[in-house]
Amino acid sequence: MAEDLNGLNNTYPNPPAGEAGYWQSFEELYNDPQFLQSHQDEFKEGVSENFDSSGMSSISRRKFLALLGASAALAGTACSDYRDKGEIIPYNKKPEEITLGKANYYASTCTACPNACGILIKTREGRPIKIDGNPDHPVSKGKICAQGQASIMSLYDPDRLKNPKKKLDRRFVDYNWKSANDEIVFDLMNSGGKEIAIIAHKIVSPTAKKVLDDFASKYPSTKIYSYEQFDNPIRNSAWKKCYGSEEFPAIKWNEAEIILSLDGDFLGESNNKIENARLFSEGRDVMNKKFNRLYVVEGNLTITGMAADYRMRLRPDEHLNFILSLINELNKKGSGIPINMGGYTLENISKQFSLNIETLNALVSDLLKNKGKSIVYAGDHLPEDVHIAVNLLNDILGNKALYNFESAPVSVLPLSASTELNNLVSRMHAGEVAVAIHLNSNPVYHLPIDLAYEKALSKVDTVISLVEVENETSDLSNFVLPINNQLESWGDAKTRTGFYSLQQPVIAPLYDTRQTEAILLSWISGDSSTYDESIYHKYLMSNWEQNIYPVLISKLNFKQFWFNSLHDGIVYSQDKSESVSPFNLASASAIKPAEVSNNFSLHIKESYAVRDGRFANNGWLQELPHPVSKVVWDNYAAISPKTANDFGLRSNDLVEISTGNNSLQIPVFIQPGASDNSITIETGYGRKNGGTVGTGVGFNANTLINSAAILSPWLYSDVKVKKVAGQYKIVTAQTVYAFNEGLTKDLPAKRGIIKEGTVNEYLKNADFLHNEKHELKSVNPFYDYKGVKWGMSVDMNRCLGCGECVVACNVENNIPVVGKDQVDNGREMHWIRIDRYYSGTPEEPNVNNQVMVCQHCDHAPCENVCPVVATTHSPDGLNQMVYNRCVGTRYCSNNCPYKVRRFNYFNFRDHFKNGFQESPVFALLMNPEVTVRSRGVMEKCTFCIQRISDARAEATKDKRDLKGSDVRTACQDACTTNAIQFGDINNEEEEFHTYRNHELGYFLLEELNIRPNVTYIAKLKNTDSETAC
Amino acid sequence: MSTDYSVEAPVVAGRLTIAQIEELVAKPMDTKPDKKFFLALTVSGSALLIGAVCLLYTLYYGIGMWGNNQPVGWGFGIVNFVFWVGIGHAGTLISAILFLLRQRWRTGIARFAEAMTIFAVMCAGIFPIIHTGRPWLAGYLTPYPNQHGLWVNFTSPLVWDVFAVSVYFTVSLVFWYTGLIPDFATLRDRTSSKIKKTFYSIFSLGWRHSSRHWLHYEKAYVILAGFATPLVLSVHTIVSFDFAVSIMPGWHTTIFPPYFVAGAIFSGFAMVVTVLVFVRKIFDLQNIITIDHLEKMNKVILATGMMVGYAYGMEFFIAWYSGVQFEQFVFINRAFGPYAWAYWIMVSCNVFFPQFFWFKKIRRSIPAMMIIVLFVNVGMWFERFVIVVTSLHRDFLPSSWGMFTPTLYDAGILLGSFGLFFTLVILFTKALPVVSIAEVKAVADGAQPTHHRGEHHD
Repeated sequence: MAEDLNGLNNTYPNPPAGEAGYWQSFEELYNDPQFLQSHQDEFKEGVSENFDSSGMSSISRRKFLALLGASAALAGTACSDYRDKGEIIPYNKKPEEITLGKANYYASTCTACPNACGILIKTREGRPIKIDGNPDHPVSKGKICAQGQASIMSLYDPDRLKNPKKKLDRRFVDYNWKSANDEIVFDLMNSGGKEIAIIAHKIVSPTAKKVLDDFASKYPSTKIYSYEQFDNPIRNSAWKKCYGSEEFPAIKWNEAEIILSLDGDFLGESNNKIENARLFSEGRDVMNKKFNRLYVVEGNLTITGMAADYRMRLRPDEHLNFILSLINELNKKGSGIPINMGGYTLENISKQFSLNIETLNALVSDLLKNKGKSIVYAGDHLPEDVHIAVNLLNDILGNKALYNFESAPVSVLPLSASTELNNLVSRMHAGEVAVAIHLNSNPVYHLPIDLAYEKALSKVDTVISLVEVENETSDLSNFVLPINNQLESWGDAKTRTGFYSLQQPVIAPLYDTRQTEAILLSWISGDSSTYDESIYHKYLMSNWEQNIYPVLISKLNFKQFWFNSLHDGIVYSQDKSESVSPFNLASASAIKPAEVSNNFSLHIKESYAVRDGRFANNGWLQELPHPVSKVVWDNYAAISPKTANDFGLRSNDLVEISTGNNSLQIPVFIQPGASDNSITIETGYGRKNGGTVGTGVGFNANTLINSAAILSPWLYSDVKVKKVAGQYKIVTAQTVYAFNEGLTKDLPAKRGIIKEGTVNEYLKNADFLHNEKHELKSVNPFYDYKGVKWGMSVDMNRCLGCGECVVACNVENNIPVVGKDQVDNGREMHWIRIDRYYSGTPEEPNVNNQVMVCQHCDHAPCENVCPVVATTHSPDGLNQMVYNRCVGTRYCSNNCPYKVRRFNYFNFRDHFKNGFQESPVFALLMNPEVTVRSRGVMEKCTFCIQRISDARAEATKDKRDLKGSDVRTACQDACTTNAIQFGDINNEEEEFHTYRNHELGYFLLEELNIRPNVTYIAKLKNTDSETAC
Repeated sequence: MSTDYSVEAPVVAGRLTIAQIEELVAKPMDTKPDKKFFLALTVSGSALLIGAVCLLYTLYYGIGMWGNNQPVGWGFGIVNFVFWVGIGHAGTLISAILFLLRQRWRTGIARFAEAMTIFAVMCAGIFPIIHTGRPWLAGYLTPYPNQHGLWVNFTSPLVWDVFAVSVYFTVSLVFWYTGLIPDFATLRDRTSSKIKKTFYSIFSLGWRHSSRHWLHYEKAYVILAGFATPLVLSVHTIVSFDFAVSIMPGWHTTIFPPYFVAGAIFSGFAMVVTVLVFVRKIFDLQNIITIDHLEKMNKVILATGMMVGYAYGMEFFIAWYSGVQFEQFVFINRAFGPYAWAYWIMVSCNVFFPQFFWFKKIRRSIPAMMIIVLFVNVGMWFERFVIVVTSLHRDFLPSSWGMFTPTLYDAGILLGSFGLFFTLVILFTKALPVVSIAEVKAVADGAQPTHHRGEHHD
């Protein structure tokens, strides 16, 4: 209509002449008919108003133009580099819980290992992106281990099974749930009285246990086995012999003045390490001038050994001798220990193993002086006799007061004894097992090789594996069923007295997977069609409603109670630990002295990074430098420098290690501080089917484990070592250099990188570090930072060097995995690293750990050399990286004295394992607040600027000033011992101010006058004072 | 042999007539390229191609193809850059500074040295661009107005480099071209080929050898020489700032500017001698590029080599004298650390071997000087390697120490840069007069009125 109205297309219906009296030509004036006609037909003949388009070319002008436009558009898009970034669908109706750009946090329980720590899962727009500790959890108190942090990657692991599989003709074919379930239920029904074996890891969930019990009552020939390759059965059995109760209690490390650890890495490797580290660090408090004293006697340098005030090297199979000598010595001093193991004296053992006799005497007098305030602790792997002797010693010294019975470990289902597992395997061999069901367990890899579990499985009619990622066991199964990740699962856990914890899913299953318990429930019902997604959820709720809720005596109705509990993640309960009977002296008198072996001893440990191998497919963990050796992507046989010298071995040389009939070829690594003639190997490596990342990394040390070990499954005393031809390159994230001789001797101390003192020195003169005062002048004017200015402090007394901060930073800041070859080339991308410095002699090194991040220098040397101003300084004191502007000259990195900058030499996501990390599912893992860096770009620690911005936005919204305490960095959140503090330098009222201005605080390379903003609080050794403070 | 220093030795030997000079120099342009030419071109072209392939891989996958790492962020890229810029210094020194100093002997070698300067700077200029992580954004290093309001960082020596090198290249090119104009005219007048004639006519800018032209030409040439002279000093000074402005021990040294300039002249002269020895032989120019020329250059090599040696010593002295632990460590580490081999290659090639030039016989012996200048070339490359790599690989925090191991791609691109350089040199010898015809004519016997006409002492 508009066309009609605007008149442009209208020819005159009537000649205008005569109407208004205006005329344009005489023809018009005189109404010449020819003219009128021509006026009517505006166009010449043949081009009429109502011409017939069908007579013309089939392509009309419109169509032609449309085609032209379309082809131009097509050519444009086809030739441009635009890649389809996928659909972006806005919320049509905003879900109540989700605000775009704002994270939601859900409390849950981490079931990545049996410790069941409380976690808070950060989700963005419905996808989990980070796991942190739940501060309300009574044991872990807001902290989780490196594996827990990194386990977020397992959710998005591209290797996860996406649908059930069945083995047909030795090949796995994709299968559907219904057929798989039907066939399995048929097999279960027709087991014919033969055993149905369920092999699980440690069960910590009461409801899961109930499911298993239901399963066993449905299929009566069922037997349930649970195993952990690394746990503390020996400690518990010793405890039972001594005190009659099942579980060794927790220890109140924070109340201990003197701690003696016998090869017990309670800060690094114990099941309870998170709580241990937190409590231990409370006794390393420079703020309140409270210092415990840690004696460590150990075979190889561990996290605990690095933290020791006094450290002695002793091969692990001699610890019984040590503890007996210690008991004898205390007896001599009249402590009245009712056993006497003749012949063992501290003098002898000190001479035999060149232990410092003064240290031993100090230890004895410390233990005597601190009765009831000291604790002796032995490693999980040590033989039972050592644990009994330790229990006895603690009992006599009155140290039972430091046992925590209020929050003691409880087990929902005790682990199967090794004899039970041995019996299972022999029954399998005998063909007496009809069905073997592996609940995300991997006995083929974990069980001692001489049991021949692999062979045994071939005698089992139906082998079923419920796994997230294929493993060695699933490879030998008839059915492989994919299960939910822990973040897709419901559950509960009971690990300690006094509370329950709850697990809730934070994302719907990514693939066609089902929760383990739900699968079992559908088998229990005998009809696979009974499965629906909420089957276990309902079961869990009803179990709680019927069995747990009534006991808790809550004032809320169940629904409210349930949602409150889910919200908190934990529920307090009133249950008590078992009562403990008085020490049973008979156990102590049964102690048999150990036979002394002159051969090598072998200690098989759980890996600090990939644990028992279950985290092998997690690149972040594989690339986490070993806390002590800084080795990545490998395990190795650690030997002492002297032993290496004696046998003509150098790091990377291959040796063959044999324990009885088992042997393994593995490279050696010379570990300063290791005891002579002893070997330490971490397991968890050498996976044959461990996923894209984990397969073939390192060496499978499980092959050395004997099912009939004499001392313990993890400790062998009569080990033969033979050098074999060849080398294997072990890669460390930190270069090895001679720290005890020549040019590089004691450099960290000479350069003021590591400043340390003793407690005594500090108590006498708190300012002893700063006796020499220098004023650093500058020709440049100082920028006056008004308002908030960010700074960090690292308390080196608390830092254990565990690496949790590193993993937390990796997750928070989308750090790629680069692979062993790139670490070897010095191209690891970690924004935070832990520098480990040895000093002293290689035999008895003193170790310091130093967390190293970008120091955000006020006069940052990186800034003035960047030609394109890609790195700048913010008014709140941050050194910033502008990725988009970065050309990649790397000048900033060269000019950084701390070498904290990281350069994307490749697109590492693409470079590593054929673009494994480019897998689309990994995109979900990324923190959307942090740019994913392209190749050719420099990057570094930002002080978690995304968190600062978040806090600033929050403060602005609330119309208040941003405070330093509003922001917590990822590393700070993760640090178990709270060694890392972050805050506003300018605010004198905040707690951070005391850290920033602590007497022990110093800046690194201060003399360069670049004004770094990370304060290091010098480490104090509690060595030279007579009494522990 | 007694020499009368009151009389200038003849610059052109063999009593060449002016016509002969012209004939001799223009011969390569008058004749068709022979087999040897193509053989040489094949060799250098292959090297260039290898470099190009390595570079393509680098551009596709990233700098990770090279040996660079943390802490050694700069490796062969910057080593080669500084090396080639250094090579480029002889040309301008010879053509500009020696011109202003009225050193008549420069005429025989100036053209070639200048050409080498231009080719060397071309080689050098490639490296700062390709060594960046995202070379397609290298334009960010130039200050251009843009709607982002982004500007370059004038405190960064890399920006100074951009200006220094591009100005140096431009001025050298203009200077070179100005010197070529009369020769273009000569060639234009000689040739009968239509294509060549057109080409030469265009580039000779209508030169007719008139007195007026000469007058203007001489003035312009002096001005350009004056303009180029400070550049000789400034370019390598600024290149040395890349290191000196940083805070890295081993880099942060005030001696760097003079040390670098001396080193640049040292290496540049060595390279000129290396190439000229072949050129004078192949193109039969022994009478124009005489053994006297080579000897004079060898003297410069000896002098600058000792300056460089002095700098090496002084660095050690200052490291000790400063009392700075980091500084002392870096220098002891250079000489006795894991890269000691590189350091001692550098010292022996740059300080020890040139000492043979004290002997006149060696200065005037082609094979002997060939060996020594090749050593100097190697040594000067290693000097940059030592500066770049050994300072970075063990800096402040022992935790971040590392080692630099070059890859095949590093080697390939280095080879490629030589390929580019020699390809350009070889093409140049056939396309343009390698000796300035006009200038040599001017210093030939009898070309200028003199009091000593015909009184030779040879």
